[in-house]
Order: sequence, then C-alpha cells, then structure tokens
Amino acid sequence: MTEPVIDVLARSTAVALWTTLIAGVLGISLGTALALARVGRRGILIAIVNTGMALPTVVVGLSVALLLWRTGPLGDLGLIYTLRGVVVAQVLLATPLVTGVTLAALRQLPRELPEQLRALGANRIQLVLRMWLEARLALLAAVMAGFGLAISEVGAAMIVGGNIHGHTQVMTTAIVETVSRGEFGVAITYGAVLLGVAFLVNAVLALAQRRGSSWADG
Amino acid sequence: MGGWLSARELHHVRGGRDVLSLGSLDVAPGSRLCVLGANGAGKTTLLRLLAGVERPRLGQVSLDGVSVTGGGVAVRRRIAYTAQRPVLLSTTARRNVELPLRWRRVPRKRCRSLANAALERLRIGHLAERQARSLSGGEQQRVNLARAVALDPDVLLLDEPAASLDAESRTAFLDDLGRALADRATTVVHVSHRVEEAMRLADQVIALINGRVHQVGSAAELIHRPISADVARLVGYDNLVPAHVRSDGTVLIGQTATGLRLAGYKGPASVAVFANGVRPAAEGDAAGVPARVRHVSLGPGYWTVSLTVSLPGVTDLAMTLPIGTPVAPEGSTVRVVFDPSLSTVLPATAATRQPHPLPVPALDPATALLSL
Repeated sequence: MTEPVIDVLARSTAVALWTTLIAGVLGISLGTALALARVGRRGILIAIVNTGMALPTVVVGLSVALLLWRTGPLGDLGLIYTLRGVVVAQVLLATPLVTGVTLAALRQLPRELPEQLRALGANRIQLVLRMWLEARLALLAAVMAGFGLAISEVGAAMIVGGNIHGHTQVMTTAIVETVSRGEFGVAITYGAVLLGVAFLVNAVLALAQRRGSSWADG
Repeated sequence: MGGWLSARELHHVRGGRDVLSLGSLDVAPGSRLCVLGANGAGKTTLLRLLAGVERPRLGQVSLDGVSVTGGGVAVRRRIAYTAQRPVLLSTTARRNVELPLRWRRVPRKRCRSLANAALERLRIGHLAERQARSLSGGEQQRVNLARAVALDPDVLLLDEPAASLDAESRTAFLDDLGRALADRATTVVHVSHRVEEAMRLADQVIALINGRVHQVGSAAELIHRPISADVARLVGYDNLVPAHVRSDGTVLIGQTATGLRLAGYKGPASVAVFANGVRPAAEGDAAGVPARVRHVSLGPGYWTVSLTVSLPGVTDLAMTLPIGTPVAPEGSTVRVVFDPSLSTVLPATAATRQPHPLPVPALDPATALLSL
C-alpha cells in the first residue's frame, strides 16, 4: 500500500531542516573560526574542508552505515535505519559545504575589517556578530546550499535510512523506488512536490535575507 | 582626559625584514605627536603596535601602565585607531558612528546624540542617513574620523588621515579635524609623510626613517634644524648639495661661495635648500654657483627650473621662481645663490650620523618625551 505523499514529504522536510540547522551552526562556526585563524595554521584545514565539499554521498552513506551498523562501533546508538541516522549522514555532507561557503563569504570582506572592529573596541562576540552581519547575504546562501543538499540527497539517505516505508522513506528515496517499479507518473509527482517545497523554503530564506538587510541598515 | 602612552624597546620584523626598532617612547596625556616618515619607514607599523592591533616581535606598549600589547577589551576601548583606508560597515554613516558606542553599552539616545555631534564636527551631519560605503573617499574618511572622535578616547591614533584626499579637500579636512580635536584632552598620535600635516596638527614630531627615530622636536625645529640629510629630505628640502665650510665660516660648493655661512665648524658639509631658496645671483654679486638651465616648466604661480651644476661632484638643483620673474632660457648658463632663510648647512658629522645613539632634544615634559 502506498503511503500518503504528505507523510513522506513531512519526513523529507523534517530531515532537511534538522540537517540545515545542525550543519548551519557547525559550518558557520567552523568557517568563521577558519576565517579568523592565523594564516599559517589554517591551510591544511581549508584543504580538508574543500575536499569535504566534494564528498560522494554514497561513500559517506556507506561509511556512516558501517559505523552505525548494529555490530559497528556506534551500533549501540541504534541509529541505523532511522531518520536520525539519515540526519547524521547528511550533516556530514552538508557541513563542509556550509563551512566552505562561509569561509569564502568572510574572506570576501575587507581584510582589515576584523582588526578595525577590534580597534573600535569590539569584543570577540561583537566582532563575530558584526562580521556575520556584514556577510549576511552570503551566509544565507551558505544555509540555502546546505538545505538544497539535504532536501535533494538520495545516496546516504538510501543506505543509512534503508528507505523503509512509513519509517525512513523520504521523497528522494521514494522517487528512486517508484522509478525502479516503472511508476514514472508517481515519481514525477513526487519530484514536482519536492521542487515546490525546495522553492518555498528558499523563498522564506530569501525573504529573511531581505529583511535582514533592512534591519542591519536601519 | 588623555592617557599616558608608553612604548619600550619595540622591535618588529615583517617578511624577515627589520621594520621598526624603537628604544623608548612616552607620549604625555593631551599631547599631539606626529610620526613623520616616507613610505615604508615603519609609521603604520608603529601606529598598529601602539593601537594593539598587532603584536611587536619584542617590546611592550602600555597605556597608563596597563599593557596594550595583547591587552584586553578594556584597555583597547581607551584607544581609537583609524586606518589609512577607511573600513566602514555596510550601513548608514550614523550607524557606523553609533555602533562602537553601543558596544560600550552607551544608552541608545546618548549614542545618537554623540554620533550626531561627531558627524556635525566633521561637517557631514547631512550625510548621516546615507549608506557609508556609497560616500566619496573624503566623506568616508570623515565618517571614519567621526567614529573615532565620538568615542572620546583617551588616545587617538590616526594613520595618514588625509592621504587619500586632493590638495584642496585635504586643507579643509585638516582644518575640520583640528577643530574637532581642539577642545579635547585626547592624546593624539598621527602618522604622515607630509610635514605640513605635522605643522597643523602636532606639537611634537618624530622623524622616522627606515624604522628608526632620527630626530624629535617641533615641526619648526625639524624644518629649520634637521640633524641629517635624511631628515632634511623628509621635511621637504628639494636640494641636498655636497659642500665645504672654510675656517672663516664661508660655505663653498666646489670652490664657489654660496652666500651661506656656518660658524664654529670647518670641514665637509651638505647644503639643504628648498627650491624656492635657490635664486639667480644679482649682477656684480661675487657669490654664485654656476649652473646650466636644463629644463623650464610652468607650475601654478611659479616656474620650476631644473639646473645642472657645472662643478665636479655636485648634483642637479631644482629652483622655483615666481611667475612674474624673467627666466633664463633652456641651455643658458646662470649663477645661483641660496637664500639663508630657506637653506641649512649640515656638517658632515650630522649628515652621516647613525640613528643610534641620538641626543635627546630638550622637550617640554608636559607634551612629549622621547629617548633612544
């Protein structure tokens, strides 16, 4: 029996939003730390982040599945074939992306900005907040990129989540399954719905971007 | 109330090069100090070390005895540093000025009134609601300064505040800056490569050459009594000519009298002379250095004449003459003398003297004190 599309969609959206939230916090923090780190110390870390941005999703899915497997080192956590496990895998994929975009965004700011803010008396928190505000548009783009990755990701979700009906099936894995059954009409419907949700979330973020700009300017 | 800014044994290296070496510097509260130096002399480095935005390789900077070097927010908030290139935030001019005040937990209404007052002092009150980054270079520099002045810091550090402005804007800007600081007890250290800025804003000047202090004194002292050829060049002397002082005090270039005298010294020397201190010798005048007119060009209100001195071992000379003065044609030979009020004779011992150690000039202890 086919599960109502709304349930699959809700699951997909929840996974993508949790992934975006966690990867956003981690990625923006890491990207900021890298942007403010002394030049000599960050070269290797930046190389790791750049590599992470190109990680194949099935490789990450496989690695996470092996770790979370019941007999694996993190098997006791009971995350294999759960949505939480899918979120873990997708966070691993999205965090380097958000970190990389954040780093690029902050490096686009005037090189003298951090020291000028310090010289004007900003403490560490005030400095970071102001730099985020200065790079707000690009940072929201980083978050959007993280959401885009999470909502469209299929390899890791399939391997770690197992595409279990009514439990871990998300829109992307459902599309793969319906296509494999030859139900192209259903797959196209799922795809259209998924695109609609992605558009809606990005529209909300774009609105927040615009509001953020006017607030910062006011 | 301004703060007592001190630096001890400051040494800084950048890219493997020794860029600054300073023995001891004390800037008394309320004094106005200018660090005068050519590009690459280490002026900005010194200012950044004083501001605490960069750590020296060796040495210590302190404000009223509290270390600035690697110091906390509290001591940094007593100092305002403005970089040569304004780094303004992507918001309005007013918000740019208000924000550092907000960081100091100044109430919102007070922030606004302080910001407005600072913008008015720098004559940009009408630009308060404009996006700061959309303003012209000069206007941005004014916002940059208003932001620092609004903080009413104990120490204000200005890095070439008028560098990016054209001559006309620079004069107006320096007048406004002087006015904005006039009734404040703030200790001000500013760096510049223009001696006229030092004359307008500072009561003491440090001549910084290749990262080392060569002379300390008032701007007038540096101009009238530079201790070396390097300082003479720094304060704007256009010509430095090898000379010789006879036992009777007559200053000769080659074997020709210049019209200058230096008492109490005999031996090799240099003559430093401004271009407007070089004049054609009068008819029948016994003194006068022979020179060939190489090039004549017209400047605003004056002629610029390039001369090649017809004596062995003597360099070229630059001469400026008022526009109404008759000028010898190119290729002709003239004799020139030096106006004593626009020239100075530097004994060779001074001209070749190394920066360490230097005699400490007698300074007013209420203003600034520097020793090496």
